[in-house]
Amino acid sequence: MSIDRRQTLAGLAGTLALPLLGRSAFAQGAGTFRIGALNPVTGSGSPYGTGMQKMILAAAEMVNAAGGAGGRMFEVFAEDTQTNPQAAVLAAKKLIEINKVQAILGTWASGVSLAVIPLTNDAGAILMHTSGAPALSVAPSNAKGLGYRFQATNDRFGRAFAEIAQKEGFKRPATMAFNNASGIGNTEGFRKAWEAKGGKVLEAVVYEPNQPSYRAELQKVLAAKPDVIVTGSYLADTTIILREWFQTGDATRWIIPGWAANPDLVKALGPDVTEGLFSVDSISNEEAPSFQMYDAAYRKAVGQPGLSNVYGAMTWDMVVTLALAMEAAGPGADVAAINAKMRDVANPGGTKVYSFAEGKAALKAGKINYEGASSILDFDAAGDVTPDFGVSVISKGKIERRYVTKI
Amino acid sequence: MDAYLIAIAIVTGIYVLMALGLNLQYGLTGLINFGHVGFFCVGAYAAAILASRGWPAAATFPIAAAVAVAAAWPLGLVSLRLRDDYFAIVSLGFSEVVRLVATSERWLTNGVQGIAGIPRLFADLSGTTQALAVLALLLVLNGLAILAMRRIVASPFGRMIEAIRDNEEAVRALGKDPARFKIQVLMLGAALAGVSGAVYAHYIGFIAPEQFVPLVTFQIWMAIVMGGVGRVSGALVGSGLLMLFLEGSRFLRDLLPFVSEVEMASVRIGVVGLALILFTLYRPQGLMGDFTRR
Repeated sequence: MSIDRRQTLAGLAGTLALPLLGRSAFAQGAGTFRIGALNPVTGSGSPYGTGMQKMILAAAEMVNAAGGAGGRMFEVFAEDTQTNPQAAVLAAKKLIEINKVQAILGTWASGVSLAVIPLTNDAGAILMHTSGAPALSVAPSNAKGLGYRFQATNDRFGRAFAEIAQKEGFKRPATMAFNNASGIGNTEGFRKAWEAKGGKVLEAVVYEPNQPSYRAELQKVLAAKPDVIVTGSYLADTTIILREWFQTGDATRWIIPGWAANPDLVKALGPDVTEGLFSVDSISNEEAPSFQMYDAAYRKAVGQPGLSNVYGAMTWDMVVTLALAMEAAGPGADVAAINAKMRDVANPGGTKVYSFAEGKAALKAGKINYEGASSILDFDAAGDVTPDFGVSVISKGKIERRYVTKI
Repeated sequence: MDAYLIAIAIVTGIYVLMALGLNLQYGLTGLINFGHVGFFCVGAYAAAILASRGWPAAATFPIAAAVAVAAAWPLGLVSLRLRDDYFAIVSLGFSEVVRLVATSERWLTNGVQGIAGIPRLFADLSGTTQALAVLALLLVLNGLAILAMRRIVASPFGRMIEAIRDNEEAVRALGKDPARFKIQVLMLGAALAGVSGAVYAHYIGFIAPEQFVPLVTFQIWMAIVMGGVGRVSGALVGSGLLMLFLEGSRFLRDLLPFVSEVEMASVRIGVVGLALILFTLYRPQGLMGDFTRR
C-alpha cells in the first residue's frame, strides 16, 4: 500500500469538511438554553472531572424532566479542559463560538478558570467554577460580575485552619504543602491568618508530588518541634507521610483538609495511625434534602457515594442555581437578566428550597433561597460562597464531626 | 465560529514557530533536541515577568528571544561532546530543569501558582480585531522565520550544517569545527522557541510550570515527523495536521454522543499515535518529505 501526496491531501481535506456535515446538528433549537460542561476529565483534575461532568448532565436532565427552566430546556455540550489552560481556551472558544453556549460550568483548576474567564466575559456568558484563586473574585477577572465560585477560596480554607488551631489551643504550628497552587494556597492562607492572630509558623515545607517517600521533608518539619502540622495535601501523599510519621513515634497532631483525611485514608492506614487527626472540610450540606438528591444521582451515575467528590456536588448546584435564576427571570430572558437573578434565588430572604422542582413551584409564591448540596450557597458581592467548615476528629477508625466553624 | 478558527490558527502559528526551530536543529543539523519546550518556557516566562512589570510587548519579544538564546548557549557547550541519543537525554533533562526552576523560584515566577493577568497584545483593539492582529503578528513572525530558513538552507552555513547531519566525521576531516555550528543552530532554534513562548504567554494570559511539560516537545516532534523532517513546508503542514487531530476530535465528540469525554481523551491521543506509526510505516519522509534523497 502506498499513499501519494495527492491522496493524503484529499483525505485531509475530507476530514476538514467533516464538521460541516454536522452543522445541521448545531442549529439552535427553539426553547433551548445551551450550557457548556467544561471539566478536567483528563490531567491532574481527572479524579473529579468525570464525576463533575456527569453531575452536570444528570442535573440538566432533572431540570428538563421538571419541565425546563423559564420555559426552556437545557442542552449540554461537554468538553475536556485537560486541566491545561491552553486546551481549555480552545475548548471554551469552541463552546462559545460553535455551540453557542450561554454559560460555562465546572472549570476546576485556577489556571484554567483564569484563562477562560476573559472569554466568557467577552461573550457575555456566565462562568461557574470551583477554583480557589482569590484573583477570580476581583477585576479584571470578574469585572462584569458574570463569574461565580462554588468552592471556598484557598484563603478561606487557611482562615478556617487557623481558627481551628487556635480553638484547639495549639501554639507551635508548622505546615506541609503539596507543591501546587491549591496545596500552597491552603498553607499560605493559614500562615497569613495565623500571623494576623499574632502567632508564628515554625516551619513551612513544600514537597514535590509523586515521591515514594517523604522522610526528608518530615524530618525537616519535625526538627522544628511543632505541636501541630497543618497540611495542604492530597490522599496519596498524605497516606505516605502519615505512615512514615507514625514510624518515627512522634506525638505531633495533624490538621488535614477533608479531601485527604477521608475514609480511604483510614482504610489505608488503620485506626492506630489515624487516631486523633483533625479533618477539616467545607461542609457539603449533607443533612439537606438537596444533598440526598445529589447523592442518589451520583451513586447512580458514578457508582460511588456523593461525598467522595465535593466538586460533583458543586457542579450539581451550578445547574440547579442557574435553572432557578432562569425560572425567576422568566421566559426568554437574556443572560444579563438571568445573571441579575442569581443572588435572588440563592441568598437568604426567601423560602428555603432544596431542589429545582420545589423552587420552581415556590417561585410562583414569592422569593426563594436555594440551599445547595455543596453548601448553603450564599453569594457575596464578588460571586463567592462562604461555606461553613466542619471539623472532624478521627477516633477508633471513625471520622466524627465535632463542631462547625464559621469564618 | 470565526473566533474559534482564529484561535486555532493562532495556536497553530505558535506551534509552527516552534516546529521551525526544531526543524532547523533536527531536520537540518541532526541535533536530537528533546528539550525544546525548555526554550519555549524560558521565553514565555521572560515575556510574562517583564510584561506584568509594565514593559511594552515591543521590548518583551526581543528579550524573550535573547534570554532563550542565552539559555541555549551553556546547553550547547555542555552537550558538544554528546551526539545523538546522549544529547537527547541531556536536552530532555535541561527542559525538566527549566520547569523545576520555574516551580521553585517563587520570588521570580510565583511558583506553581503561575503568573496570571499577563497583558494581551494589541489591548486597545477588541474582540475579533484583536485576535486577527495577533494572528497577523504570528504570520509576520513565521514569514520572517521561513524566509530566514530558506536563506540559511541556500547559504554555505546551510550546507555545512547539513553536512554535519550527514557525516560529522567527514566534516571534521575537512578541517571544519562542527561544534561552533551546532551551538549556533541550537541558539537560533532557541530564539524561535523563545519568541513563540512570548506570543503564547501574551495570548493565553496565564502561565504556570505545568504547561511546560515534555509532552509539548513531543507534540512538536510529532508535527515535524508527520510533516516531513528537514522541510520548511513540513513544519507548516505537520503543525496544521497536529492541530487538526487534536481539535478535530472535539467535533467527533458532538457527532458521536455515545463516546464519553473520558474515552474521547484517550481516543485523541491514540489517533495521533496511530498516525505516527502509519507515517513511519508508509511515509517515513513525512507528508512533505524530501524525495530527492532516500
